[in-house]
Amino acid sequence: MTAFLQVEGLQKYFPIGKNFLGRPTQVVKAVEDVSFATERGKTLGIVGESGCGKSTTARLLMDLSPPDQGRITIDGQAYGKGAGRKPITALRKRMQMVFQDSYASLNARLTIEESIAFGPKINGASDREASTKARDLLDRVGLDPDNFIRRYPHELSGGQRQRVNIARALAIDPEIVILDEAVSALDKSVQAQVLNLLADLKAEFDLTYLFISHDLNVVQYVSDDVIVMYLGQVVESGPAQAMYSTPAHPYTAALLSALPALHPKDRKTRAPLEGDPPNPISPPSGCRFHPRCPFAEPMCAETVPLLADIGGGRHVACHMRVPGSGYPDVRPIVTVAPSPTA
Amino acid sequence: MDNIVEVRDLCVTFKTSEGSVYAVSNVNLDLAEGKTLALLGESGSGKSVTMKSLMRLHPPHKTQITGSIQVAGRDVLALGNRELSDMRGKDIAMVFQEPMLAFDPVFKVGDQIAEVVMRHEGCSYEAGRDRALEMMECVHIPSPRKRLDAYPHEMSGGMRQRAMIALALACRPTVLLADEPTTALDATVQIQVLLLLRELQREFGMSMIFVTHDVGVAIEVADEIAVMYGGRIVEQGPVDEVMTDPWHPYTQGLLGATVYPNMDPATRLVSIPGAPPQLYRQITECAFAPRCPHATDECHDPLPPPTQTDQRMARCIRLPEVAGALPRASV
Repeated sequence: MTAFLQVEGLQKYFPIGKNFLGRPTQVVKAVEDVSFATERGKTLGIVGESGCGKSTTARLLMDLSPPDQGRITIDGQAYGKGAGRKPITALRKRMQMVFQDSYASLNARLTIEESIAFGPKINGASDREASTKARDLLDRVGLDPDNFIRRYPHELSGGQRQRVNIARALAIDPEIVILDEAVSALDKSVQAQVLNLLADLKAEFDLTYLFISHDLNVVQYVSDDVIVMYLGQVVESGPAQAMYSTPAHPYTAALLSALPALHPKDRKTRAPLEGDPPNPISPPSGCRFHPRCPFAEPMCAETVPLLADIGGGRHVACHMRVPGSGYPDVRPIVTVAPSPTA
Repeated sequence: MDNIVEVRDLCVTFKTSEGSVYAVSNVNLDLAEGKTLALLGESGSGKSVTMKSLMRLHPPHKTQITGSIQVAGRDVLALGNRELSDMRGKDIAMVFQEPMLAFDPVFKVGDQIAEVVMRHEGCSYEAGRDRALEMMECVHIPSPRKRLDAYPHEMSGGMRQRAMIALALACRPTVLLADEPTTALDATVQIQVLLLLRELQREFGMSMIFVTHDVGVAIEVADEIAVMYGGRIVEQGPVDEVMTDPWHPYTQGLLGATVYPNMDPATRLVSIPGAPPQLYRQITECAFAPRCPHATDECHDPLPPPTQTDQRMARCIRLPEVAGALPRASV
């Protein structure tokens, strides 16, 4: 049985620098062999630090930059270039995206109504239908249509603009919405409004969310399942609650234990990891996390660990954790406790 | 205990082409020696403006500052340009959010640190470089001798922020101002820098004012916390008390709006309706009243003096009734 949204073997290398023949001298391995699946009506969270490829993954799904490799299917129907696949424009009717920068992602010279009505119009709706749709959606995202419909993006606050972006994403009745750091730039009080709104809209329109964020607490709160990315690869995936309570990959454990405390008595006394994430231009060999990993053994630098099933719908790519990753003599990992909670 | 920083009735107004912006109104702050104060607030709440006023970093001809600011016994608002540059970097130094923008991209990091030492201590270039090396070791930059000759773009984000801290601390300032120093950093690097700042503060015995919008970051570093809204401090007190028993409805709302670990996905976040105020007019009433669930008609009258106890302060006329009204029980 295939999942509602299935992504297999997604890959993107960005060439950088050119030699005198015009050939690239280096490549950034932005996304490498990323696969995941989610069911209709669920929220899949994607977390990771900057440069881990989470936003690139989103852009590849929408074909905003074309993937080098990979297969995307919705309800068993494949999209993209190739035999038996529907064109990407058909995919975009089913999948829409909300970006982090609410201002840059709206056309500054279109009114709010024109921005929201644009999608329906190019998909065949009449001006009147598109306009009605825009008003309905503005109302649904909590903005008074009479007040906002003729305004321009610069006249709105960040929170209001992000509501407009959400309305625009919903204007062609998509089934999947990619939220790429959609609440990250908002102040906390406004972020809470938008998160509540997203939960309401999801229930009302039976949406499936891909929720991309660096904020682990928010991802845990909104997601059913989570994938953790590090330097372009998935290191762990599984149901959110299980992963947060017993992280399987040392990197997941470190991320969770790097969260600031919620009470002064729980202040951190040591950092779980040293150094910065390495440069994705020349990622470490073998397991890309091994230079920062407290449990690394020589083989971690040699062999790339593959995602292995650890039961309960969970997968982890770690030699020290899973015998199936090719290391016979496995010892149990002392997981770093996740951030204490009140 | 002596206060190393005392701010009284600070008002900062910017003159813009669209009129005056009343960025900071009637702010009072005390910082005791060796302590850390966190200024917590959302964008536009006046926290960074307050900080920059302590070093007089605002453009003079567009900014009107009234009130008084005492830093290490100096009356900051009375200083001339020469005395100001004597003070900056020596008595009081600042770490910025984006170290890539704070460093000069065309000079080596080690030379930029050496320059500060040469300016304030009148020493030679060699002595300045020695101090730079010592500081780079202090902030745990790997292979510090090599990094002295690195340009800012050759360093990673976390390392640049460490170098920024080395620069700020090169002349052993008594007060360190940190303006969202970890906001641009990844989670695993953020905690490293927070721990470093705490360690250095103990080691050097300095006082610190830390601006952040992140409740968790404030809890990690601060002894005292001042919550700002609409250019005013609405609540102030020891961090553990304010965070576990917030008095002001805005602080309560802010904590209720923050997603915490292991939160039940079925719980709705407490959202504060509306948006923060525009500061194009002088707000004399409670700036939070239009968004406040407890607001009554009197809340739109001019603000009375704050409610003050030994340790805590909050500016809300409905305080006795709302102080216990936490939107959720646990933090």
